[in-house]
Amino acid sequence: MRLFAPFAAIFLSASAAGAAQLIEVREPTALAAAFAPAASVRVMNVWATWCVPCVEEMADLGAIGATFGARVSVVGVSLDDMIPGDRAVSKNKVVAFLDRQRIAFPNIYYVGNSDALADFLRFDGAIPITIAYDRGGHELWRKQGKLDRQKTIATIRKLLGRTR
Amino acid sequence: MKKCFALTLMLLAAAACADELTVGTKAPAFTLVNSVDGKTYAFKPADGKISVVFFTCNQCPYAKAFEPRLIEIAQKYQARGVRFYAIDPNDENRYSEETMENMRARATSKGYPYPYLKDGDSSVARAYGARVTPHVYVIDGNGLLRYRGYVDDSARPEERTRTGLTDALDALIANREVPMTATHAFGCSIKFKS
Repeated sequence: MRLFAPFAAIFLSASAAGAAQLIEVREPTALAAAFAPAASVRVMNVWATWCVPCVEEMADLGAIGATFGARVSVVGVSLDDMIPGDRAVSKNKVVAFLDRQRIAFPNIYYVGNSDALADFLRFDGAIPITIAYDRGGHELWRKQGKLDRQKTIATIRKLLGRTR
Repeated sequence: MKKCFALTLMLLAAAACADELTVGTKAPAFTLVNSVDGKTYAFKPADGKISVVFFTCNQCPYAKAFEPRLIEIAQKYQARGVRFYAIDPNDENRYSEETMENMRARATSKGYPYPYLKDGDSSVARAYGARVTPHVYVIDGNGLLRYRGYVDDSARPEERTRTGLTDALDALIANREVPMTATHAFGCSIKFKS
């Protein structure tokens, strides 16, 4: 089954232009590989540079990730590839944006099918969406739409308490 | 562990399209002003014609990416009796790109073959349960919603594998069942007027 052979599809592609880590992924099953293995709570944020609320909340995500250190692993999933055009240019744009925002957590540059992603993450296509999982991949929480920094930090703090 | 995580995610996977107008139900009527000529357009479902109602806007790159495709589809299917209504539901007070004047400018410069209607209070978008731009709805001649979701599964023509909108139109024109009645509409969130 195609979805069970994901990891060969990962290509690390940290841009020479910046420090942001951008990982190209085609298969949704490979998304989880970007999480830090030791983290108790894993937070996935689906976003794009063309999405206004996504851009607005990126600094909040960076702050949320920094708040918890190694206990929480944040991974962004960029859908910038959905806009037709030169893929390399688009990736550079994403990296430049992440660098400007000083984003330290890894980001995925998703180049796979949109239906497959929506089915896999069980969302309807509207971004941003943020989903938290435990170490075993069980969903703990999700937020459709723009995050509130303090509320999200409070929520993750509770999730950490549950996952000890 | 990573493989286990991925497998768990897969087990959780299922389509989720909550709060949208349910396929098979009556489509809401609307009366809106066309930004191009200032005329009022009244959409009255169940008049025997197939209609495509789609929510789009001026500022969303993903909506813009589908613009040429929608123009191409409209030109092809209007010749077969299908009506198209493009609706901008975004709040022009917060986003100046979405004013009637800017809508008219875009529709004119791109040569829209359909009216570009302003949903000034976002009420039509709410009635349809639209969330993003572009978000497409196909209504049959009896006024029933027969398809909702995306235009295609990719805005990149070379990676397009599913053509939700044209598949639905082809089926309805041929009096067949629509093969996929609901798909995931990706795009920019609608900036609803509060």
